[in-house]
Amino acid sequence: MMRVNKIRSIAARATAVMALSMLALAARAELLIQITEGRVDAVPIAVVPFGGAANAPENVSDIVRADLHRSGQFKTLEPGDMLSRPTSADQLSYRDFRVLDQEYVVVGSVKATETGAYEVRYGLYDVAREKELLTESYRPPASQLRDVAHAISDRIYEELTGIQGAFSTKILYVTHNRGADRPYQLQYADADGARVHTIVRSREPIMSPSWSPDGSKIAYVSFEGNGLPKIYVHDLGSAERRVVAQYKGINGAPAWAPDGQKLAITLSKDGNPEIYTLDLNSGALERLTNHYGIDTEPRWMPDGDHLMFTSSRSGGPQIYELNVHDKSTRRVSFEGAYNARPDVTPDGRYLVYVHRRNGSFHVGVQDLQRGTFDIVTQTNMDESPSVAPNGSMIIYGTQHRGTGVLQAVSIDGRVKVELPSKEGEVREPAWSPFL
Amino acid sequence: MRSFINPFFAVILAGLLAACSSTPSEEDTSSTDTMPQETQTTPTQPVERPEPAKPETSSIPLTADNFHNHPSNYDGTTDTRVIYFAFDSNTVPAAAFETLRAHAKYLKENPNAKVRLEGHADERGTREYNVALSERRSEAVEKFLRVQGVSASQINTVAYGEEKPAAFGHSEMDWAKNRRVVLNYTAGRP
Repeated sequence: MMRVNKIRSIAARATAVMALSMLALAARAELLIQITEGRVDAVPIAVVPFGGAANAPENVSDIVRADLHRSGQFKTLEPGDMLSRPTSADQLSYRDFRVLDQEYVVVGSVKATETGAYEVRYGLYDVAREKELLTESYRPPASQLRDVAHAISDRIYEELTGIQGAFSTKILYVTHNRGADRPYQLQYADADGARVHTIVRSREPIMSPSWSPDGSKIAYVSFEGNGLPKIYVHDLGSAERRVVAQYKGINGAPAWAPDGQKLAITLSKDGNPEIYTLDLNSGALERLTNHYGIDTEPRWMPDGDHLMFTSSRSGGPQIYELNVHDKSTRRVSFEGAYNARPDVTPDGRYLVYVHRRNGSFHVGVQDLQRGTFDIVTQTNMDESPSVAPNGSMIIYGTQHRGTGVLQAVSIDGRVKVELPSKEGEVREPAWSPFL
Repeated sequence: MRSFINPFFAVILAGLLAACSSTPSEEDTSSTDTMPQETQTTPTQPVERPEPAKPETSSIPLTADNFHNHPSNYDGTTDTRVIYFAFDSNTVPAAAFETLRAHAKYLKENPNAKVRLEGHADERGTREYNVALSERRSEAVEKFLRVQGVSASQINTVAYGEEKPAAFGHSEMDWAKNRRVVLNYTAGRP
């Protein structure tokens, strides 16, 4: 694979956003985005600096350019290489972009209005056909300029790829900042790493964050207080939360069902790790597995009728599928001696899990229709893969120079993105649904 | 200072050393932040006796492979609070038997004492699966103590997986130090 662009950092912008935010500044993991490998056939696109963008609190066109670049589907033109910088359709000279081999060009403007809001206008143009593909305008308050930028990226991505963009989504993750008074933090950020929010800080471990299907709530495991594991359901809007499981033994691996009404969880209260469903309305528990081996790490198939999970019933860990109605199981993974922690693409076609080969842990993708299996990461110690809601990318935890970092890779393994943290370990990413 | 004792001598020395001032193992201090380790314990049964013969220093080199079963990790008394395990194993190592018997004896003689067995795994593999593996380690220690006659009501277990490492590096030796069960006394600490 070709190394397209070494480093593209949005650190400066992320820092600016944080400085503006009213969040506590201490012990915040800051995510930086670097694309390490892109597609050889990435589509050339010129996102011209929007008129007035540099004077607004968020540079909308810079954010759009970074979003498209980070997807790996596009090769973005540096503004310094542009022959002209039109800010509206009537200023656009297609020839200036055709000679630079650009297929598409985005032009626009950002203007402050009398009410303190901003007016953002942009258009997407096909250079070869000299044709307008898309024009839109937004009137966001300053606080939503970044949201508008991601929405524009989503529209352009969908227009040009036919796939819904996932730039307006969030990533939930756990950080560990050794030496801090409360070293374990549960945080979320924009999919580009900006706007970090801390949800929980604790002296004791936090694990296994999971989104509700509508993105309004999360579930996670926290050992806070008495040092024992408890499963929490936490409303992100109201910040209210409640303990939904605190049985003897393991309370782990919550996974929200597609209907949003129940969780699949792992409990060892009956003497052995088994998978249960927990009805969040009634509190009713139903045990789904019954085996002396380890059964854990459940993930729902999109149909809500099946779960994928990790089981040691054949010796080492392998992936099994479970029918939640008749509780029948069948083994799904057969390659190698260690396959664990499955996730599933939204269309249910691809199973993504951790695979050990020659002592290293990689992310593997199994095509459930064709039965093929491919390792898509070259890093070691990979874990916790989580698929984007549009099925395009997998975000996962790995190690870089001895520290936990997040990376992302496309389902086909052709695009790789690094999200190194500035402080502490970052791990267990969970990609939000469309919000 | 650490005592290096052969398992053979451990049987004889266990009782004597219990009365000596203790030096907790370095791993203990990182095991929990809620229970700060005392640097000195008050002798419970002062005994007049001559200086014990200097125990033989183990001649077995300490490696990542034998770390869990190395005599230097176990002094045969309740001063030792960490039991180590081989890779992918929940078998209590033979070198730890005397130490665990000392804990069992203490727990039986002190019915108000309570111990929490905190199971840990190394960082390799997935996190929730490691929680399950580490639970099997704390259960193995629990079973050992129960067979020695300790009441179930004195034992709790918790499985931390790879979430609370004692060693933060990524070498085989770091992993060996992290595959462990910590005996954390929540009441009636020896």
